[in-house]
Amino acid sequence: MSFVYYIFSIIFLVLLSPLVLSFIKSFKMRLLYKKPASLFQGYRNFAKLFSKEIILSKEASTITKIAPFLVLSPLVLILFFLPPIFSGSFYIGFVDAFTITGLLALSTFFLMLLGLDGGNSFGGIGSSREAFISSLSEPAMILTVFTISLMANNLGIAKAAINLNNHFPFTHMASFTFATISFFILLLCETGRIPIDNPETHLELTMVHEAMILDLSGAYLGIIEMASSIKFIIFASMFASLFMPFGLGLNPFLSLAVFIAKIFMIALAVAFVETNMAKLRLFKVPNLLGIAIVFAFLSLISFYVLGGNA
Amino acid sequence: MFIFDSLSLVFLFLIALGTVPNLFYSFGYAKDIKRKIYYHIHYFGFIISMIGVVVSNNLFLFLFFWELMSLTSWQLILTDPEKKSTKDAAKFYFFMTHLGFIFLLLLFLIVSNGNLDIDFNSAKDIAKDFAYPTLLFFFMIFGFLSKAGVVPFHVWLPYAHPEAPSAVSALMSGVMLKVAIYGLFRFLFDVLYPWPLEWGIVILILGALSSLVGVLYALSEHDIKALLANHSIENIGIILIGFGMGMIFDALGLKDLSAFAFIAALFHTFNHMSFKSLLFMSAGSVLHQTHTKNMEKYGGLIKSMPVTAITFLLASISISALPPSNGFLSEWMIFQSLLSSNSITHVALKISIPFAVFALALTGGLAIACFVKAYGITFLGTSRSQNAKHARESNFLMQSGMVLMSFVVVSLMLFTPFFIKLFDKVTQGLHGVSIYHSIFKDGFLSIHSISDNGGVVSPVILLLALLVIVFILFFVYKSLKLPVRVKNSWACGYKVSTRTQYSATGFAGPIRRFFSWLYKPKEHFEKQIIYGHDTKFETALYEVHIEPLFEKSLYKGAKSITNKISYLVYRLAHFEQSRYSAIIFNLMLSVLFGYRIFAHQFSWANITLEVIILIISIKILIIGDKK
Repeated sequence: MSFVYYIFSIIFLVLLSPLVLSFIKSFKMRLLYKKPASLFQGYRNFAKLFSKEIILSKEASTITKIAPFLVLSPLVLILFFLPPIFSGSFYIGFVDAFTITGLLALSTFFLMLLGLDGGNSFGGIGSSREAFISSLSEPAMILTVFTISLMANNLGIAKAAINLNNHFPFTHMASFTFATISFFILLLCETGRIPIDNPETHLELTMVHEAMILDLSGAYLGIIEMASSIKFIIFASMFASLFMPFGLGLNPFLSLAVFIAKIFMIALAVAFVETNMAKLRLFKVPNLLGIAIVFAFLSLISFYVLGGNA
Repeated sequence: MFIFDSLSLVFLFLIALGTVPNLFYSFGYAKDIKRKIYYHIHYFGFIISMIGVVVSNNLFLFLFFWELMSLTSWQLILTDPEKKSTKDAAKFYFFMTHLGFIFLLLLFLIVSNGNLDIDFNSAKDIAKDFAYPTLLFFFMIFGFLSKAGVVPFHVWLPYAHPEAPSAVSALMSGVMLKVAIYGLFRFLFDVLYPWPLEWGIVILILGALSSLVGVLYALSEHDIKALLANHSIENIGIILIGFGMGMIFDALGLKDLSAFAFIAALFHTFNHMSFKSLLFMSAGSVLHQTHTKNMEKYGGLIKSMPVTAITFLLASISISALPPSNGFLSEWMIFQSLLSSNSITHVALKISIPFAVFALALTGGLAIACFVKAYGITFLGTSRSQNAKHARESNFLMQSGMVLMSFVVVSLMLFTPFFIKLFDKVTQGLHGVSIYHSIFKDGFLSIHSISDNGGVVSPVILLLALLVIVFILFFVYKSLKLPVRVKNSWACGYKVSTRTQYSATGFAGPIRRFFSWLYKPKEHFEKQIIYGHDTKFETALYEVHIEPLFEKSLYKGAKSITNKISYLVYRLAHFEQSRYSAIIFNLMLSVLFGYRIFAHQFSWANITLEVIILIISIKILIIGDKK
């Protein structure tokens, strides 16, 4: 039974991911007094992309043909390591922050190579900016997840989430809050949302992620789009399990409902941030990431000063 | 005379793994070298001297092979001595390596009481009685780390490695730097053993600093071999982070954690040997075909040089510490040993170790950026010059060298338990505890961290899972049977050409701008505008030059200070005889005082008094009144 829960939650997360992104988009449109797009637009896009002809660039090498798969597969692998949604579910408890960050980086590495493969200047712009942002977000990510796993007394992400759910460390509320702020900034950054990157733009001044994949079409574009929606669901799910640690002990239907509610709350928060903020200039992005790093440090130091668990 | 304990054997194994693929490569490479006999004599002399260093159990022999290693590698840099830059680099290397040698000689003379013909065990007894062990420690790190290329002695690497023939740079960076790490292991374990906590902290700080400095200067390079040389600085830094953690844990009495950290450092030593040799070989093969080291002249080489491109990609993934490569595994282990700092009770130390975590993580992030640049600009896109356009795959011997080295890289990932078992033997010699069974708690598939509630990673399962997912995705994609058409690149209507393509300088632009406080770049911008319109121009040239901070401040600074002092002395030379005798008097005074301080008794009050006396006598007798 526990294994059924495990497989179900992975398939459920994959299926949910386009819906969440469409939800953010349509909610943003509603906030801007536009006529909202359908919630199922994401699924329609995928159906369309996977039936279209693929156009490859003349300059493209083998990298373009294999990179989309290597962008998607590490992210799919991370789905197997995420904290469980149901209490009795099977989970892989030992995977730590460094491995998860490494898998994310593997996906980004091939995405950046993909940007450089077409030989056009836009891909180069995108890769260069992504290299800049992701290299600075990696230390923040490692430090934040490390702190939260120290608070939970286990370095494995999934085990940490369960520990937090069972015994919430109330003495370390301050550290916990700092880590939450830091992780929310990282969520915006890694999934390419507005203060850092604009997912809807096609202007060379503002785009990062879109610039790298400008040259792709058809199924390859579909795979990359799928990767970015799965990346969002990975971060949302990690935020929901690690930083809102409740609702795991309920019966399966209730805990699933609580989990979905948490995911949509995060989506709402992202939508509000996106409509209320302008995109930062590229060279202001490190300041935001610097805030994330400082909060991660503060969280760790306050945890150590207050005694820790050791 | 010779020693074959586990430490020596492990490093002998490392030299063998690094050398055998290199032999093939070197024979392929030597076809274009004019002075073949000269090259081969020094090449084999270099290999033999490295083997000699790791097996000698005699201080004199160690020093002899060490010096032979420096001299042969110096001559190898001069294999093709036509260019001025080669001669300068060789001169600089010669100077730096002998600066280290002086400190090493001092250390050896002290620990052997002047008689170099003794083994390490007897040296240990003499070192134990020496009054200032920290002095020995500093002599040792100056001596060995100047060879290993640790900040602030790293400045010779980006000059010496690019000028050497590529097979030699692969050996120098892959194996010779590791021999210096061997020296560190040998001396700390066998001669200076119970060390205080502070030494470990010094090593840790040096490691964190080197890793950051190395990767930041690598990013700003566009000479491909200098880029790789800077990455050697970074990786030696990462090794030292592990090494320093091992020393800290040992000083605190946490034997298991210390063994784990030392194993991680040794593992990274092996991994760096494998992927850095491979990178230098592939870069050398590119250089051999395109006849330029400038990355801005490459591009699109993946189509004409597939074997080189694939091996370079493998090594790039490994050096960027991306899972499930071997580079990732050893960095993971170093990371885990940093996280084990949770069990340290010393709060100040505990709070400062996350800064090393930060340095390691930032280094990882920047290394990824750097290798996307190195790979993407070199092998992807369209060719940026005629040289790159007409490049062909290198000859069979060079290819087989690269392929053999990629087997070493892959086997370091697949057969991790075997290697860790070897390293465990080494640390067992120091602590007497074996932690192999705590690392591989349940079978050989997964590596466990040694601390409580630590992480677990399983390279084989990660690799298999990734492969399975990729194949499933690929199968699904193939079963869709989508039509494919080949057309021009889409660049929003702009023309795609070599001139609009992104350059290496442009790629590193944002990072260079963010770290401009460190780089202090000198920009050179020139354009020919048309009819006075500022935005329309016929040709434009943008160059950026970065002078490394350490070179500027420490080395050039020392040079200018020496110049100033010698000018002052020169001015003194025109005084009358009484001043000369006054100078001699002061010199004698300072020698006497100095001897008393260092040889007899040490007290701050006396030192202050003597310094004041010296200053007064210099002021009165030499400088005199202002005229």
